[in-house]
Amino acid sequence: MLAIYKRELKAYFTSMVGYFFLAFFLVFLGIYFVVANLIQALANFEYVPAQMCYLFIFIVPIITMRILAEEKKQKTDQLLFTSPVSITGIVLGKYFAIVTVFLSAITIMLFYPLILSQFGTISMGMAYSAILGFFLMGCAYLAIGMFLSAVSENQIIAAVLSVLVILITNLIMGIASVLPTDSLSVWLMLSFIVLVIFGILYWNTRNLTVTLALAAIVEAIMAFLYVSKASFYEGLIEKICSWIAIASKYDNFSSGILDLQSCIYFISVAVVFLVITVQTLNRRRWN
Amino acid sequence: MIEVRNLTKKYGDHKAVDSLSFTVKQGEILGFLGPNGAGKSTTMNMITGYISATEGTAEIDGHDIFEEPEEAKKCIGYLPEIPPLYGDMRLLEYLKFVAELKKVKKSKQKEMLDYVMKMTSTTEMKNRLIKNLSKGFKQRVGLAAALIGNPEVLILDEPTVGLDPKQIIEIRDLIRELAKNHTIILSSHILSEVAAVCDKVLIINKGKKLVIDTPDNLSKRMGGSSGVEMKLQGEEGMIKKALLSIENVTDVSINKGKREEGKVYLTVYSSSTDEDALSEAIFYTMADKNCPILQMRPAAMSLEEVFLEVTKEDTNYMSRKKKRLLEKEKEKEEV
Repeated sequence: MLAIYKRELKAYFTSMVGYFFLAFFLVFLGIYFVVANLIQALANFEYVPAQMCYLFIFIVPIITMRILAEEKKQKTDQLLFTSPVSITGIVLGKYFAIVTVFLSAITIMLFYPLILSQFGTISMGMAYSAILGFFLMGCAYLAIGMFLSAVSENQIIAAVLSVLVILITNLIMGIASVLPTDSLSVWLMLSFIVLVIFGILYWNTRNLTVTLALAAIVEAIMAFLYVSKASFYEGLIEKICSWIAIASKYDNFSSGILDLQSCIYFISVAVVFLVITVQTLNRRRWN
Repeated sequence: MIEVRNLTKKYGDHKAVDSLSFTVKQGEILGFLGPNGAGKSTTMNMITGYISATEGTAEIDGHDIFEEPEEAKKCIGYLPEIPPLYGDMRLLEYLKFVAELKKVKKSKQKEMLDYVMKMTSTTEMKNRLIKNLSKGFKQRVGLAAALIGNPEVLILDEPTVGLDPKQIIEIRDLIRELAKNHTIILSSHILSEVAAVCDKVLIINKGKKLVIDTPDNLSKRMGGSSGVEMKLQGEEGMIKKALLSIENVTDVSINKGKREEGKVYLTVYSSSTDEDALSEAIFYTMADKNCPILQMRPAAMSLEEVFLEVTKEDTNYMSRKKKRLLEKEKEKEEV
C-alpha cells in the first residue's frame, strides 16, 4: 500500500497534473479571498470556501480521472493485481495519494485566516471549521471521482462522468424544490426511476428473466405501499434528493457552524465509494 | 511446483479456456504453444491471479492462487504480453517501486536491483525515462521487474516479441540461464524458440489441451520415420535411382526450387527411424557412384509441422509423411 501511495504521489508532482491542480485552486482561492475579504472588507474567511464549493466540479476530475482508468488502459494494472498486495491495499494507497494532493492545497488555505488576523480580530474557530468541512467534502468527492475512474474505459469518460455527478449533487436540491410533492405523482415518478434502473441492470447483465422478475417485485411492493399507506410517498422525492445532495451538506459550515452530522456524512460517503471501488475492481476479474 | 487443475474460463457462452490441466516440475521450462486466440494469455492471467477462473484452480508451490492469493503471488514473477510499465517513471525508480510492491526487504533492495539490471543488461539505462526506451529495452525492463524478489516461478508471455534477432538470442540465453534455479512457463507462437529452450511443450488450441510432451518426442511421435536433406554433385536420374536402391528408403524427392548447374538438391525419406544408419548407407552408395556429397543434414520433422498438424481442424495426428507412404502404397497396388 505504501509503495502505491508513494508512486502515485510522485506521479502527480513529476507530471503536470499536480501543479496544474494547485495553480487552478490557488488562483481561485486568491480571487475569492480578494473579493470576499479584501474588497468587501469582511472578517469572515468562511465565505471563501463556501464560494469555492462549485470548483469541485473541475478540480475533482483533474485529480481523479487518471487514477484507475489509466492503469486499465496502459495494462499496468496487471502488475498491481499480480503483486502480493490486496485490492483494498491498492485502492487505499491510491486514495490516500489523491487526498494528500488535495491536502497540499488545503495546507496553503490554512494560512489565509492568519493573514486576515493581522488586520483585525477574526473568529479562528469559524474559519478553521469551514476549512475542515471543505476538506471533508473534498474527500467525499474524491472517493466518488475515483470510483468513476474505476468504471470508465478511459480518462476522458471518467472526467465527464465526474463533472456530471458533482454537478447533479450541486443542482439537485433546486430541481427537487420544483417537483410535485403529492403522493400519486411521487409514486409514479419513483416507479419510472425504478424501471430505468432495472433497464440499466438488464443492459449490464443481459439476463431478462431475473431483471423482469426483480422489477416486477419492486414495483408491486411500491404499488402496495401506495394503496396501504399513501402518506409514505409525500415529499419523498425531496427527502431522497437531500440524501444525495452532497453540496447542500456544506450550508452550515458556511455560516460558521462545525456541523458534526455533515462531517460524518462526508466520511460515510467516502467510505461507501471506496468499498464499491474495491468491489468493482474485484468484480472485473470475474468477467 | 505448478499444478493446474481443470482450469476453465468462460466469457458468456464462449469458452476461452476449457478444462486445462497440467503440471510443471521444479526447474522445468514449459513451452506454451498455440495459434493466436488459443487461450495462452488467458491461462497465464489465471495462473498469476490477474483474472479469476470460472472453474478449476492453479496451485503454485502448494499455494492455491484463489485461496491464498498473496502467498501464491509472492512465488510468481510475471511478464505479461504488454510489459506493465509506467512511462513517466525512470527505470531505476520503476524497479524500486516494483521491489517495494513485492515487499523486498529494504536492506536487500539495492543488491536485488543491481542483480536484475545486470541479468537483463539494462544498467546503463537506469536513469532514462521508460517512455523513451526502445521496445526491446521495454521488454527487458518488464523481464527485470518479473525477476525482482527472486520468485521461484517465472511466467513469461511471449518474451521475445518485437525484439531483433540479436536480442532474441540474448533473451533466450537469459531464459536458459534463469532455468537453472527457476521454474518457467513461456508462451510463444514462434516454434523454433520453444524447440530451442523448452524441456516440455504444451500445445493448446481453442482453449483445449492437445498434447504435452518433450520437443524430441513430439517430433518422433508425429514422424515415425526419418529423412535426410542433401546437396550432391552429379546427374539427377542416376542419383535418384541409386538412392532408391538403398534399404528402407521409401522416397526421394528432388527439390526443384533450388537450381545450380550440375548439382542436385533432394530429400531422402526412410521408413526406419535410424538416421545414422541411413546417412552411412547413403555415403557408401554415393561414393560408389562417384557422386560427391556436398551437404547432408537430418530432416527431422520440425516442430512447425507438428504444430500445424496438431492444431488442424480435424486434429489429425497422422503426419504428412505417413500419408505420403499410404499414397505410395496405393499407387503400387494400382500398378
